[in-house]
Amino acid sequence: MPPIIRMVNLTKKFGNLVAVDHLNLEIEEGEILGLLGPNGAGKTTAILVLATVMRPTEGTAFVGGYEIKKNPDKVRGVLGIVFQEPKMLWVSTPWDIVNWHAKVCGLSTEERKRRVKEVLEALDMWEPRRKNVHALSGGMRKRVELAKVLIQRPKIAIIDEPTAQIDVVGKHKIWNMLRELREEGSTIILATNELYEADMLSDRVAIMHKGQLLVCDTPKKLKDSILGGDIVDIQLEKDASPKVVEELKHFKEVVNVLQAKPSNLRVYLNQVEEVVPRIMNLFMKESVPIASIHMSEPSLDDVFAHYTGLTIEEAQKGGG
Amino acid sequence: MRAIWFISQIALFGLVSSRMINVPNLDYFRYYVAGLSIMTLYSAAIFIGFDIYEEADHGVFEYLLSLPVTRRQLVLGRSIGGGLRAFIYVGPLIGVSLYVIGAISPINFLIALFSLFLFAFGVSGMSITIAVVLKSSDRFDILMGVLDALIVRLSTAMYPLAYVQEANPLYGWIAKFNPVTYVADLFRWGTGLEAIISLDNPLLPLLGIIAFFSIFTFVGIIIYERRIEGGGWQ
Repeated sequence: MPPIIRMVNLTKKFGNLVAVDHLNLEIEEGEILGLLGPNGAGKTTAILVLATVMRPTEGTAFVGGYEIKKNPDKVRGVLGIVFQEPKMLWVSTPWDIVNWHAKVCGLSTEERKRRVKEVLEALDMWEPRRKNVHALSGGMRKRVELAKVLIQRPKIAIIDEPTAQIDVVGKHKIWNMLRELREEGSTIILATNELYEADMLSDRVAIMHKGQLLVCDTPKKLKDSILGGDIVDIQLEKDASPKVVEELKHFKEVVNVLQAKPSNLRVYLNQVEEVVPRIMNLFMKESVPIASIHMSEPSLDDVFAHYTGLTIEEAQKGGG
Repeated sequence: MRAIWFISQIALFGLVSSRMINVPNLDYFRYYVAGLSIMTLYSAAIFIGFDIYEEADHGVFEYLLSLPVTRRQLVLGRSIGGGLRAFIYVGPLIGVSLYVIGAISPINFLIALFSLFLFAFGVSGMSITIAVVLKSSDRFDILMGVLDALIVRLSTAMYPLAYVQEANPLYGWIAKFNPVTYVADLFRWGTGLEAIISLDNPLLPLLGIIAFFSIFTFVGIIIYERRIEGGGWQ
């Protein structure tokens, strides 16, 4: 099956600033693609170009089989977008905004009434549906923004910072709703600064920095791509001999072994789940009983830092 | 506020100035009230252009541009919406002027009302077109001020065409092909007001209004599409 979105050398410049730099990326139908990057990485610009809100300076993209420059109307017909900053119409209530959006998206009166109620209830926005949006908190306004795409159920949903300003309970609820949206057949591009969110939801994660795509793969492969990213702490019941340590170092997945104490080993390695049984076999063969073993994988934070060269704190400060 | 301004214009300026002006077979007070309605409708309809900039500033424009509708539908919706909004705002004021002007001929009035609608849609379309071409709210503001001064003053909104022509033939020529003249004359004709109709046949100003509406709605769509598609407004 051809990819539902294909970006070919997609570039957007604003004067001398290259916001998106020759982006080549394919997204499969039904996939949730996490688009990660520090502020200013070019995520939102790339999204706006895909949504035909902006025209690319160079290159192109095919969205739902339509070329963005030749068939912008058809592209807009297959996608829905949740903006980073909630877009509110003037002096409107959540109900007005969502109902108007549903009307523009062509929902029949009956379906619209039903879906608006369903979605606003699911987002805990039914009670304040008649409040003026300007009186709502940032999180509530973001929910209204999100309601648009949940009602529209587009073939392709582009969601910029879905849970920005939303509390922890709300976040989990929204993540479930996005998973349901995917199960109903939508392909989702999820632009986020929240690495945990990307890890929880995405089938693949693309990391952008300074307009360029640095890497794109499954979260697991990205984590595995960090050399020695996995850590195994082994507590032995007796001291480990130099021979065992040496044998351990010869495993091709093992990057380094530190021996803090004679009976404590810290092993930096890749593909921890495949190597640990072999490590245990080695100690059993050498008659060195293991008292405890603790494994930890690199997080997407580590992957992000590895590829962008920025810590999360630097990224949040707009270090991109 | 618009209503206070409108009523002040009628009750103060209209009442006082009509005592200074003596035109044979013309009640200048009623003539002025009719013209004032058109000027107010024009000002209200032009306002949509300012909305475009405000929407761009608040990012609502991006949202509108991402909707699953064509640019044509979008601009048509905006100009008709802008025109209707202007009409709704000004509707009660037109009601006041009808009360002041007096008797009406129903069929003539319906034709005049139709022309007012088309005029409001046309002005909205013109405002949107100019706003997206200029891409600067300051420049738009200045141009609208200048345009308002020229388009309203070089029309029959405040004085009959014969006097405009007498003052300067060029002014008269401009006023003769001015949509404000067409709609002001049609409104006076529609309300049965005794006035010097600039064109003998009410069909001609009606055609003029239809042409104005068509140009700024349909040609406006093309310009809008070219300027806006792909973020060209930025």
